[in-house]
Amino acid sequence: MPPPSERAGKQAAAQQAVDILHEIATILNTHLDRRTLSICISMIENGVNPEALAIVIKELRKRGQEIELEAAAAAAGVSTVPTRRR
Amino acid sequence: MASHQRNRVTAAIDSLIAHLVPPFPGDDELTAQARHDDSFELVRSILERHGSPAVSSDVNHAADLIKRKLIQRNPSQALRFSNLYTRLLSLPVLNQKWAILSLLYQLSDSPDPNEPPPLSPPKPPPPPPPPAPAPAPLPPSPPPLQRPPAPPPADKDWRSRPPPAHPAAPEPNAEEDAVRDAFSPAGLKTLPSDRPAKRSQPEERPPSRVAADDAPKKPARDVSIKSTLLADSSNVFEPSEMALLRDLPYTLQGLSSATMPFPRDAALKLPSTLPSPIVSLLHTLAEPSLLYRGLAAFVKSPAKGLLGQSLRAAISNEIRSYLTLVATLEAQIRRALSSVDESAPRGGIGKAGVTLKRCVVWTREATMGLRLMSLIAEESKSRHGGQLISLIHGFSTSHGDPVVAAFAERLLADVTRPFYDILRRWIYDGELSDPHLEFFVREQQAPHGAADDRKDAKAKGHASVWNSKYEVVDAMVPSIMTADFAQKVFLIGKSLNFIRHSCGDSGWVDAYSKTSSKPLGYGDTAALETSIDDAYKTTMRRLMHLMNHRFHVFDHLQALKNYILLGQGDFIALLMESLAANLDRPAFAQYRHTLTAQLEHAIRGSNAQYDSDEVLRRLDARMLQLSHGDIGWDCFTLEYKIDAPVDVVVTEWGNRQYLKVFNFLWRVKRVEFALSSAWRKCMTGARGVLQTHDEHVLQLWKSTRGILAEMVHFVGQLQYYILFEVIESSWTELQKAIRRDDCTLDDLITAHTNYLTAITHKGLLGARRRQFHDQLREAAQQQQQQQQQQHQGSAAAGGGGGGSGDGNASGSAGGGGAAAASAPVEDRNSYMAQLSELLHVMLAFRDCVDGLYSWSVADFTRRQEADAAGLVMRPSKKAKLSATSSSATHKAYGSTGGGAADLDDPFLSSSATASDGGSHAHLRSELPALQERLKQLGVAFKSRLQVLLGDLAYQPDVDMRFLGVSMNFNDVYQPVKRKKHASASGGAGSGSGSGSGSGTQHQQQQQQQQQQQQGQPVVGGGSFSR
Repeated sequence: MPPPSERAGKQAAAQQAVDILHEIATILNTHLDRRTLSICISMIENGVNPEALAIVIKELRKRGQEIELEAAAAAAGVSTVPTRRR
Repeated sequence: MASHQRNRVTAAIDSLIAHLVPPFPGDDELTAQARHDDSFELVRSILERHGSPAVSSDVNHAADLIKRKLIQRNPSQALRFSNLYTRLLSLPVLNQKWAILSLLYQLSDSPDPNEPPPLSPPKPPPPPPPPAPAPAPLPPSPPPLQRPPAPPPADKDWRSRPPPAHPAAPEPNAEEDAVRDAFSPAGLKTLPSDRPAKRSQPEERPPSRVAADDAPKKPARDVSIKSTLLADSSNVFEPSEMALLRDLPYTLQGLSSATMPFPRDAALKLPSTLPSPIVSLLHTLAEPSLLYRGLAAFVKSPAKGLLGQSLRAAISNEIRSYLTLVATLEAQIRRALSSVDESAPRGGIGKAGVTLKRCVVWTREATMGLRLMSLIAEESKSRHGGQLISLIHGFSTSHGDPVVAAFAERLLADVTRPFYDILRRWIYDGELSDPHLEFFVREQQAPHGAADDRKDAKAKGHASVWNSKYEVVDAMVPSIMTADFAQKVFLIGKSLNFIRHSCGDSGWVDAYSKTSSKPLGYGDTAALETSIDDAYKTTMRRLMHLMNHRFHVFDHLQALKNYILLGQGDFIALLMESLAANLDRPAFAQYRHTLTAQLEHAIRGSNAQYDSDEVLRRLDARMLQLSHGDIGWDCFTLEYKIDAPVDVVVTEWGNRQYLKVFNFLWRVKRVEFALSSAWRKCMTGARGVLQTHDEHVLQLWKSTRGILAEMVHFVGQLQYYILFEVIESSWTELQKAIRRDDCTLDDLITAHTNYLTAITHKGLLGARRRQFHDQLREAAQQQQQQQQQQHQGSAAAGGGGGGSGDGNASGSAGGGGAAAASAPVEDRNSYMAQLSELLHVMLAFRDCVDGLYSWSVADFTRRQEADAAGLVMRPSKKAKLSATSSSATHKAYGSTGGGAADLDDPFLSSSATASDGGSHAHLRSELPALQERLKQLGVAFKSRLQVLLGDLAYQPDVDMRFLGVSMNFNDVYQPVKRKKHASASGGAGSGSGSGSGSGTQHQQQQQQQQQQQQGQPVVGGGSFSR
């Protein structure tokens, strides 16, 4: 394990990287928020094909929209978003 | 490790799904889980399918794609992206930067997932973002048509689009596509799509696919329609286009071929069977062929000069590149012809890629070059040397077409080479190696071919080595150098040449050319200018150094001023004193050896002896060409000999000017000398022999002394003016001009010429009115003739007695009057004429004073004798004694006064003075004549002086006006204005006429006197016998 100071430095660097990438993402109109972006980054760092990931994200967004629409149609109450963490 | 990675990915997918797909609010835990699993499965399958990244991990590729996209849309954002990108690259943490960027790129411009489409709430299935074209799983069912598809089928040329580049992205944003298309590097391939919205995307797919099928046909049909039309319309002609194409390279090289022979030099025969479009194409192609033929002939023709040769070489170079083009063309044609399909319409030539029309296009630029070259070649026949350069330079600088200008510039670099060679030889060696007369400097031709203006220049004395060996031919100065520059170049070469040949310093020139010679060439004008400036400075400095130290130009100028312009006063005074007696004799009695001896004496006796030998041995005294009756004063001149290189500065013309000034000054000096000696005699005599009690005689002496004083004043002022106001001030200016650091030989020459001109002009020597010059000369000639006649007359009458000087002077005055009558105003216009008249008058007056003096002496002796006779009545011995004493005084007078004749026999004159009563009456009768004469001369002097003052008062030159003021300081004289003078000239003429009358009267009197003298010996003999 790296010493804590190095770790902190790494975290800071990662934070910076996410900042930069988020900015690029904004420029490019990707509508990715920081969280999604960091998830994507970690996935890609773990060897996921970016093309596939792009498709996945689009697919998931679509689903999310469908659900939202359904929810709107059902006019059900407030949705509670369960947050799942790794 | 791998499992760990997988776990992480799985976890990430989970969180991603959870983040992006919100749980349906109405669902319970189970359905939510199912939904989640469903999503998870989907994601998994997609990821599985793609596996590891297919694209090679080129970091820059994704970034480039992004950048290009941004540049198309918003350049400022592109800039921002670049900044971010560089920062990102510098970060150490990420390993897969490219992949992230690629992800972002593919997600770019995706619709906002959080923004529910409010426009279409009724539609339950909202238009999803389209899947990737082929591999997309679960293609959504086509939603109902929202709007009819707007774009026409042929609108989008899908073929030309690279769909795989962005498999997921392109469709959702049609506008973006349009923009990309419009700005794609290949230009506008398609019409901008006006697909209205992304919703219609699925709808559009079928039509677009149709378009994709249709598109290749459409343009193909276009072409085929044209070609079929062409094939239909173009009848099969003979020879076919293929045959023409096959022969075309030969034609372009100017060789006759079977189809297109060259019957003459400047003609190409086209087959008569061709249709007119082909003929017109061939016409266009014939132009370079014919031009090439002409140029080839021009290149082979013998050149007139070096520049002509270099022009031919340059053109042949250009032609070579044209031939290369033709060779390439030929290769193309051959390949095309070999691959051509014979069966196709028009021999399938349209497909082969080489047609006559294309050949026209390909040869187009070359044709321009050929055209220009043949223009130049044509013009060059009538031009020569520098003009040729000017011609091409004109194209390169002032032609509007940049292609032509560049072409001419290229040509110029080659063409000017021999010119710069000549230039280099000229400015570094001073040699003109120009066998074909192409340079702008040229050796001057023999004088018989010379123009009039050169004759004028020669007449002015500029015909020296410096000025007349070379000349600049203005027409030959090429336009690449300015006139100033050319002048400088000319001067450099001329100086070097002069140093080498006239100054005998070729060693320096050789060394110089070895050290500083460098190749010159067209192009770097600045370097050329600096090198020429350097050469100019070096050469000029060397030349001036030589002139100063080896040839002592400045010393010579100083010596000229000292001796010829009478600057060295003690020398001149001594010379005049020692020569005076000699010069009173007639001109033919002057001998050169006596003159040189006296000159030597004057040098030894004055400060001139300390001058350098170099200067002194050039000084010489000699006689001018004597005309009959001149006395020594008129002919004597000093001379300063100038030899080879220095005569560039002191030219022949300059020498003559110096002589002119010297003669004038010498005369003034002589008059001053004579007047002062007369004045001295009067002053010394006044205490002795001139004392008398006769009121009348005393009055006469008084007025005479007054006039004499006026004359002395006048001469003094004149001399002061010329020596100090004119010569010294001009000398100062000359010194200032030639002591400058950057003085060149030309400057020196000009300064010296100005110096001389100033002296002659201000020194009243220049003819003031040029237009009267001839008439003046005429008048002078007449005057001279009359003088001669009168000389002869007086010589016949008196044989040069004591009074012959008087007769001479009065005769000349009378002659002046006569000349004035014949040529009314002119001779009075020239100051020279006026001054010489004045000087004549003064000399005559001096002689008269001498006459008066001798009369007074005679009178005094007579009175003394009478007294002695009255006191002591022993006549004979005393008389004898007094006679001898008086003869001694008379002798003294004779030697100083210049009465030449009575020096010979003092006894005769002494016997004349020792007169008795008979001669006494004669003696008495002389007085009124003398008085009359003195008075007349005084009046003449005054009137002439007044005229002169009148002229001077209206001079533009300040110094000359000032001379008038100083001469008339207390307003004794009333200056006569020139305007009045026109009427007064008649009066003056009549006045001088009366003067001449008095002159004749006087001559009569002289004759009487001489008769008397002739009679006297008898009487004297009587006295002796007594």
